[in-house]
Amino acid sequence: MTYHWARGFDWGEFGASAGWPSLRYDPHKLCPGSPHFKRESGKPTMCAISSIVVNARSLTKRYGNFEAVRGIDFAISAGECYGFLGVNGAGKTSTMKMIYCRIGRTSGELTVLGMDPAHDAPRIKQRLGVVAQENALDPELDVIENLLSYASFFGVTGAAARRKASELLELVNISGKERALVRELSGGMKRRLVIARALVNDPAILVLDEPTTGLDPQARLLVWERLTRLREVGLTLLITTHYMEEAARLCNRVAVIDGGKILAEGSPAALIAQFAARDVLEIVDSDGRLPADGLLGGLVVRRERHGDIQYLYNSDNRVLLHRLSELGFDPPSHVARQTTLEDVFLNMTGRELTE
Amino acid sequence: MNALAAFFSPNAWRVFHRNFLAWRRYAWSSVAINIVEPFAYFLALGFGLGAYFSLTGYGSLVQFMAPGFLGLTALNTATFDAAWGGYERRVFNGVYESIITAPVDPLEIAAGEYLWQAFRSALYGSLFLTVITGFGLVHSWWALLCPIMLALSGIAFAIPALFVSFVVKTQEHLFYYFSFVATPMVMIGGVFFPLDKFPHWALAIAWLTPLYHAVRVFRSLVVGTVSWNTGLEVLWVLAAIALLAFVPVGSIRRHLSS
Repeated sequence: MTYHWARGFDWGEFGASAGWPSLRYDPHKLCPGSPHFKRESGKPTMCAISSIVVNARSLTKRYGNFEAVRGIDFAISAGECYGFLGVNGAGKTSTMKMIYCRIGRTSGELTVLGMDPAHDAPRIKQRLGVVAQENALDPELDVIENLLSYASFFGVTGAAARRKASELLELVNISGKERALVRELSGGMKRRLVIARALVNDPAILVLDEPTTGLDPQARLLVWERLTRLREVGLTLLITTHYMEEAARLCNRVAVIDGGKILAEGSPAALIAQFAARDVLEIVDSDGRLPADGLLGGLVVRRERHGDIQYLYNSDNRVLLHRLSELGFDPPSHVARQTTLEDVFLNMTGRELTE
Repeated sequence: MNALAAFFSPNAWRVFHRNFLAWRRYAWSSVAINIVEPFAYFLALGFGLGAYFSLTGYGSLVQFMAPGFLGLTALNTATFDAAWGGYERRVFNGVYESIITAPVDPLEIAAGEYLWQAFRSALYGSLFLTVITGFGLVHSWWALLCPIMLALSGIAFAIPALFVSFVVKTQEHLFYYFSFVATPMVMIGGVFFPLDKFPHWALAIAWLTPLYHAVRVFRSLVVGTVSWNTGLEVLWVLAAIALLAFVPVGSIRRHLSS
């Protein structure tokens, strides 16, 4: 399977090879989005202007008196996996909805594939894949009907649609369930089916609003694995998530968004390094026997207390736990976990857990 | 895209097709529900009550009611599925919400719903037509045109019903429309009894409802009294569709685009 951001998937080679198609630079080539662009078959060419596929400047969205998105700037390049990290109500979904032309912007500039959603929504939608937050599958239709019915709205019909549908079901690992009703699928299968459905039109950008929220760990892993595969063949992914781990696995670049503003932007590693450690050890320490930082040999980067729980930010929980047991401290109750958005987020916004 | 052009877009037919696929799974129960109830009323009123008298100038009550019930079937079928079903498709099942992520205009979704109700009205009405044909109550080959009129009246009934489904806050509020609009429309629509003895003001209200005109067309087609007036009644329904189609536009756009 090959993929080109302007041309889409070449499903004919699915399974045979995966990688970038060779690109031939043509300075006179029109980009998708320019008024006279025509999709051509044959060898893909790079176009003359930059490969920024989504560009926002001072983008705002207001609902009545509430300002959900308060002047954000970002630029997403072709082939990138870009993530919006934030808690519920941070403005992630509003931003995504503006990009996939579901809601209009209040002010600022926004271009998607070189086009303005305010004027070119149908042409943008034709080239986007959308995985909305709710499982928007049609419960009255079976699996294959969900794909074929949705594909028809993009003009993908008949034998081509059936071929595409079965390829996509294979891609997301739901083959053999064609005639199952949506309610008979597990949560993970539903989510993968929505992803498959979003690919029926060979999108240039796949937009996913919290693709793994509410899934069990195995289902989440499988979704991550499929998304990684799509990213590796060069599809531009745009993701919102609560999960630092998800962003770290999938995204080249993430924007931490809170209160409708982007607080920080960068690679996941850079963000974690800047605002939190990799791991956090939560220890119930009611009698204050926990050794002080000095005794832990610099393993603890940052320590917070909330009630009886101590939060020890560090680079590796196993090392820290080993050190603690060497010191004769076996925590009566602890949680060893990776740092999450909440940790980074709380550190960034300066809202301490203590007090 | 305007409200009437949407009827001719391929996307409207794709919405239609989506509804058809969903309907296939419960087609038999849907047919039964939409036929059995009016049929029971028809038997009880037409043959039970109708056995005691005949209508001056119209013959038996059952003969009078038979074409009226075609209009009633179209009204019930289209109204309930456009309002109740439409609310479910929009709010509970997220059907429109996912279709709208594709390059589809909200008005094309509405037009697809109207066309779907046209199909349902034509199908269920035609089944009722075969029933009354079996009772010997159809007297003219003109009756073969009934499905077309059933489809047209289905659209006329679907437009306000879908509009209401976009306006109400909860699904239960749809009963306001059923009880305060749809049912009274049946009572004054000339379905059960002639309206000759109505006061003028009541007749004027009846004249304003599409059902009144649809029923008069069905009566002409079934009995064979087709005249230029019948054509005018059809034109009235067509004009109502053309005007009504623009009423929900703002509401539909507000819900399905920003």
